[in-house]
Amino acid sequence: MSTEVLLEGGLEVERSGRSVLSLKGPDPLRLQDGGMIGVIGPNGAGKSTLLRVLAGLVSPSKGRIRLNGRALHSLSPTARAEMIGYLPQTLIPAWDYTGREMIDLQASRNPANRKSAATIASEMNVHALLNQRWSRMSGGERARIALAGVLAAESTILLADEPAAALDVQHRHYVLKELARHADSKAVVVVMHDLDLALAYCSRILLLANGALIADGTPMSLLSVDALDQVFGVRFQMADIDVRLGPALAVGATAGN
Amino acid sequence: MIIGSLSARRWRTIAVASGLALSLLLGLSAGHQWYSLPSIFRALGGSDTLDAALLLEWRAPRVLTAAFVGSLLGACGAVFQGVFRNPLAEPYLLGTAGGGALGAALALLVPLGLPGFLSLLGFSFLGAWGATLIVLLIARTAGRTDPVALLLAGVTVAAMLQALRSGLMLALSDDNISLQTILSWTLGGIQTPSWGGLLMLALLAAGLNFSLHRFSSGLDRLGLGDDYSATLGIDPANFIRRVVLVAAMAVAVAVAWGGLVAFVGLMAPHVARWAVGPLHARVIPASAVVGAMVTVLCDAIARAALPPGEIPLGLITAIVGGPFFLVILMRHYR
Repeated sequence: MSTEVLLEGGLEVERSGRSVLSLKGPDPLRLQDGGMIGVIGPNGAGKSTLLRVLAGLVSPSKGRIRLNGRALHSLSPTARAEMIGYLPQTLIPAWDYTGREMIDLQASRNPANRKSAATIASEMNVHALLNQRWSRMSGGERARIALAGVLAAESTILLADEPAAALDVQHRHYVLKELARHADSKAVVVVMHDLDLALAYCSRILLLANGALIADGTPMSLLSVDALDQVFGVRFQMADIDVRLGPALAVGATAGN
Repeated sequence: MIIGSLSARRWRTIAVASGLALSLLLGLSAGHQWYSLPSIFRALGGSDTLDAALLLEWRAPRVLTAAFVGSLLGACGAVFQGVFRNPLAEPYLLGTAGGGALGAALALLVPLGLPGFLSLLGFSFLGAWGATLIVLLIARTAGRTDPVALLLAGVTVAAMLQALRSGLMLALSDDNISLQTILSWTLGGIQTPSWGGLLMLALLAAGLNFSLHRFSSGLDRLGLGDDYSATLGIDPANFIRRVVLVAAMAVAVAVAWGGLVAFVGLMAPHVARWAVGPLHARVIPASAVVGAMVTVLCDAIARAALPPGEIPLGLITAIVGGPFFLVILMRHYR
C-alpha cells in the first residue's frame, strides 16, 4: 500500500496571530513513501511546525492536509494515532517507566496492529533495556527505546523531530539508518539540523526559511543551487563525495554575507 | 537481578495488602476502650455481649468508613498526580478538598429546603469541582514546568476557600448547628454512620474507585506529555476534564464522610509506586489500599491517643504527612 500525504497549496499556519508556515502557490505539496524526506532550514523556519501540522497537533488556519485521501482534521484522535507515528525531539516522561513500559505506551496508539515489546526489542537489539528504568538509561539508550516504541506499532507515516540532535555520532547514525530503513513502506518525514546527515540519509529534502518552502528536491539538486547558502547565511563547500555514505558531505561552511 | 526485582515487587504487594488487614484489626482494637484480639473475633463471630454490640454498632462502621474515605483519597491522589504530572499534587493541597468543604458548609448552614445529606454531597461536589477547575486553569497558564508553582496556586486557592468557609461559619452558625460540630468536621474527622449509611458509602467508593481506575491507560500516556499523548490517540484537554470531574466526585464523597484530611492523597501514591511501579492500572488500586491503611491507622490514633477525647483526624495526618511532603520536596530539588 502506498502512502501519500497531500498539503494543499496556500496552506497557512498561524501562532498567536502570526503566520509561521505558509505554502505558496496553487500546487500541493506531496509527501510519499519510497525514501526518507528531510526537512531542513535555520531556526524559526517552520520545520517543527510543519511536522506538528502533519502529526495533527496543530491545525492550519487555511488549507487542508489529506492522508491517503482522508482529511487529517476529520480523523478521530484514535484513527490519527493509528496512522501516524511521531517521535518528538525529547521525551520526558513524568514517571519512571521501564523500557518495556515505554515501548508498550508508545505502541498503544495502534493496539490492533503492533509488535510485542519483546519482538521489537530483539529486532532493535534493545533487549537489555526492557526492564531498565528510564532514569537509569543514558541518552543513547533512551533514544533507542523511544525509536523502538514508535516503530513497534504499524503506521502509515512516520514523523521525527530532530531525533538525533542530542545524541553522539554513533547513535545519530543508528537512529537515522533505522528511520530510513522504514521509508520504503511508509512516508518518513524527519526534521534535521545536521545538514551532513540530511544529505547522507534523505532521498528528498525540503528547505524551509521564514515559514516558506524555498527548495524541494534531491540532495544533489539542492547542492547545485545557491539556496542553501542564502538561507543559512554561510557559504557551503563540497568537501568530498563518499560513495558509501551517500551523495555528499557538505562540510567547511565559511562565514558569508 | 531482574528476576530478583520482580519478586521483590510481589513481596511489596503482599506487604501492602497485609498491612491493610493489620491496620483494620488495629483500628477495631484501638480507641477510648481497647478491645483484645480474641474479643474482636468473638464479636465478629456473633457474640451478643454489650461490648460486642458496641464494637459492631459503633467502632466497626467507623473503621470501615475510614477505610473507604482513605481509599478515595489515595486513589484521587494518584489520579491528580497523574493529571498534573506532579508528584506533589493531591486533593487537599490543590484546594479540591477545600472547595468540597466550602460547599458542604454551605449546605449545612444555609437552609435550602433540600434533603440534607444529598444536598451536602451535591454542594460538596460542586465546590470540589469548581476549585479544581480554577487550579487547572492556573496550571495551564503557568505551564507545567515547575511543580511547585502549581502547588502555590493550589494552596492559595485553598486558603481563600478556607477564609470564605470560616466567614460563613461565623456568620451563619446558630443553636441548631453549632460551630463546634462544623469546626471539628472541617479539621478532619471520620463520621460514624449507620450500617445503611455505610452501605451507601461503600457503593459510592467502589463505583468511584472503579471509574477512576478506568482512566489508567490514559493517565499512563498523559505521563509522556500533552503533545505526545495527543499523538497516541488521546485528546488531552478533554481527557483531563473528564478525569477531574470524576475525581471531584470522589473527593466530595471523601469530604462528606471524613471532612478535610490532609496529605493522605500525597503519601499513598508514593508508597504505591514504590510497591508496584509507575503504571496507573496498578498505582491507582494500590494507592486506594495504602490510603485506606493510612487513614484507618491515623483514625485509630485519633481515637486512642487522648482518651476520653478525640484528636481531629486531619491533625494526625498532617503531622504524619507533613514531613513526608517535605522529604519529597527536598528530593525534588536535589
